[in-house]
Amino acid sequence: MRRRAVLAVLAVGLGAVALSGDRFWMQFLGKAMIGCILAMSLDLLVGFSGLVSLAHSAFFGLAAYALAGLTNQLGLVSPLLTLPLCVLAAGSAALVIGWLSLRATGVYFIMVTLAFTQMLFYLFNDSPALGGSDGLYVAQRPVDSRLAAYAAIWAATILVYLLLARILRAPYGRTLEGIRDNEQRMRSLGYATRRYKLVAFVIAGALAGLAGYLDATLYGFVNPAQLGWRQSGLVLVTVLLGGKGTLYGPALGALLLAFIEHYGESVTEHWNALIAALVIAVVLFLPRGLAGLVQGSARG
Amino acid sequence: MSLSLFALQLVNGVEYGLLLFLVASGLTLVFGVLGVLNFAHGSFYMLGAYLAWWLSERTGSLALAILVGLPAMVLIGLLVERLAIARLYRRDHLSQVLLTYGLVLLFNELQRALWGNDVHGVATPRALSFTVPLGEAQTWPAWRAFTALCCIALAAAMRQLILKTRFGMRVRAGASNAEMVEALGIDVRRVFSVVFSAGTALAGLAGMLAAPLTTVYPGMGESILVLSFVVVVIGGIGSIKGAFLGALLVGIADTFGKVLLPGFASAMVYAVMAAVLLWRPRGLLGPAFEGR
Amino acid sequence: MADPLVKTEGLTRRFGALGAVNDVSLSFEEGRVHAVIGPNGAGKSTFLNLLSGELRATSGRILFRGQDVTRASPDRLSRLGVGRSYQTTNLFPELRCGDCVWLAAQSRLGTSMRFFRPAERYVEVEEGAARALSDCGLSSLRPAIAGQLSYGEQRQLEIAMMLATEPKLLLLDEPLAGLGHDEALRVVDLLRRVASGRTAILVEHDMDAVFTISDTVTVLVDGRVLETGSPDRIRASAKVREAYLGEETA
Repeated sequence: MRRRAVLAVLAVGLGAVALSGDRFWMQFLGKAMIGCILAMSLDLLVGFSGLVSLAHSAFFGLAAYALAGLTNQLGLVSPLLTLPLCVLAAGSAALVIGWLSLRATGVYFIMVTLAFTQMLFYLFNDSPALGGSDGLYVAQRPVDSRLAAYAAIWAATILVYLLLARILRAPYGRTLEGIRDNEQRMRSLGYATRRYKLVAFVIAGALAGLAGYLDATLYGFVNPAQLGWRQSGLVLVTVLLGGKGTLYGPALGALLLAFIEHYGESVTEHWNALIAALVIAVVLFLPRGLAGLVQGSARG
Repeated sequence: MSLSLFALQLVNGVEYGLLLFLVASGLTLVFGVLGVLNFAHGSFYMLGAYLAWWLSERTGSLALAILVGLPAMVLIGLLVERLAIARLYRRDHLSQVLLTYGLVLLFNELQRALWGNDVHGVATPRALSFTVPLGEAQTWPAWRAFTALCCIALAAAMRQLILKTRFGMRVRAGASNAEMVEALGIDVRRVFSVVFSAGTALAGLAGMLAAPLTTVYPGMGESILVLSFVVVVIGGIGSIKGAFLGALLVGIADTFGKVLLPGFASAMVYAVMAAVLLWRPRGLLGPAFEGR
Repeated sequence: MADPLVKTEGLTRRFGALGAVNDVSLSFEEGRVHAVIGPNGAGKSTFLNLLSGELRATSGRILFRGQDVTRASPDRLSRLGVGRSYQTTNLFPELRCGDCVWLAAQSRLGTSMRFFRPAERYVEVEEGAARALSDCGLSSLRPAIAGQLSYGEQRQLEIAMMLATEPKLLLLDEPLAGLGHDEALRVVDLLRRVASGRTAILVEHDMDAVFTISDTVTVLVDGRVLETGSPDRIRASAKVREAYLGEETA
């Protein structure tokens, strides 16, 4: 109960930033909340299905590029058209890649998702027609004002949380947790487990696509660096940092990482090493993440 | 495509595949024996290449650079295993992925701080700077032939070591059941250290051999890492033979892909991977799936 | 005579050169409890794993209601009506007992792909789970975490989970292994109740239990069928005694 109150206050606070009209904060927090959407959707896979996927950023990037394509080539601008199409594109890609990747289990799965992500990265990076390593500008964004973009991102973040929380409380969510805890037993109980994992993969991919769409809306720019496994790795970091399998934890982890990245950049040139040290420290000393700290103190 | 061009590409593909094998064998061994997926494996390749460049600049000889660089790589492997990898045994996949990911970031920063962002060329040793004629119209650099021969020799040595020696037996035993091996009184930790250092050295050596061919540049670890993963997926985790076959397949597919479909060169390789996955989800020579 | 519920024809499973199960042809009548016993290493657990789909046969056939299920996956077999309890604890250690059985019960009710209503609202599943728990005398342990139960209670939970899937065939893999005397009696009683009206294949070392509950007994030695018959006949058989010579039985 108290946790929900805290999250509600946080949500309201983030919303209030829109009223301030501060340009920097809207850009920064907008980006941070996009990270929250990525983190929560990845937690569906990592925390609740037991699937460590490195393909998450691929779906993020695909939807962003889809927006660029729809707007620049077909002149489609209205979010009523572009949003569903881009999310659909990401979800469809997730269906294909997921179906192939889930034929592999365990570490194979992780490696395969890495391979597909890099494949897409090279596709966009090496094709001049798709913008090459420089990326593409979105000729006209779906929403014009920064305020509208921020509001959309804010609303989307809250909706994604509520949607995922709902799904996880439903029978499907329980089934997924059973698969995570003991997949072999679930199979012997009659569940065709691969199907459930594929559904989770598609949902996560579509939501990552939503995040990519919002990102392209916020910045008006897409580039291949967003697609690589390094980006996927950073989203995994937020999941671990926040606490996998808690849904709200990864969202907090994303916010925290956004702040760390921002201030780290201004403190030292080698802030990547800072992130690296943070990651290693969290793996070794705080494996249950921030949420683990919160829950630990609540119990003790 | 003319016959001599075909021969050239084939030979290039095989040589590339052999280099890939060197890298992938380390990766698959480490995973098979230690049970750890090491994303920083590509960084060892990069470190090897940078060491080769840096030392050969200082000493004027690539051969000397390799002789000094190899033990350095072994040492680096030992350190990394002791300090970081050892804490990953029996931990979940997410932890392994992220810890080694953190190592990649660290090594990248280290490389940038020490050697900067520039691309560097490395000269082959004068003794091997000639070319070998290939058919009528093509020639092949001797250094490539030397690299290929090194890889083949190492592959043969690995096979001998693992199949025919007592240490190799311990490696194989550790791969299938580390706890049992420990219970039998064999020092599994030592086996792990040796295997990891060997894997590191193999990747580093591949980097050193490749340095004159690909130049030395900041992102080189990542591209080789992903390809190694593809090789391991195709060949099957823990199987050296599978890594060998997979590496040759990937090397040839990639080389021919670059020539036949310039825009989609890498796509060829991933298409092969997808095809193998459809047919054999555990790789061509991976551990047999006992169930249904 | 009615067709057997399950039939194996020349079922064989080899691990390399070792034949764990060799050319086993058995019939299992519907509604009967059929025990499979034998000295250690006789291939009993392997045989059960072949029937539940977790191990692939090297050669031979498995027929369930006349249907060839030799290549069927474990989940398909479960949906066809094959239930399985495990020798080593194979639960969801972090979940509550109620949730473990809930998952088992849900598998039959087709609600697993529902995304929007909270799981608790699906009353049919709750009822199925509650029934299975009470049949096994575990109702009071519903909120307890599965991994924290006593060994005997975990055994009962295993059986409850199996029951919740409403199986027609029960594959029981050493349900009494490691149990103390009192706990064993409780589980034997449970098994007798559970097995009545259903078909069961019981792999067990506890001979008292075997001869109490079973209608038919098959003895496996070195992966081959030595003898099949009524409990009395098996108990009296010289061949069987010879096979067990020097072995601790229960």
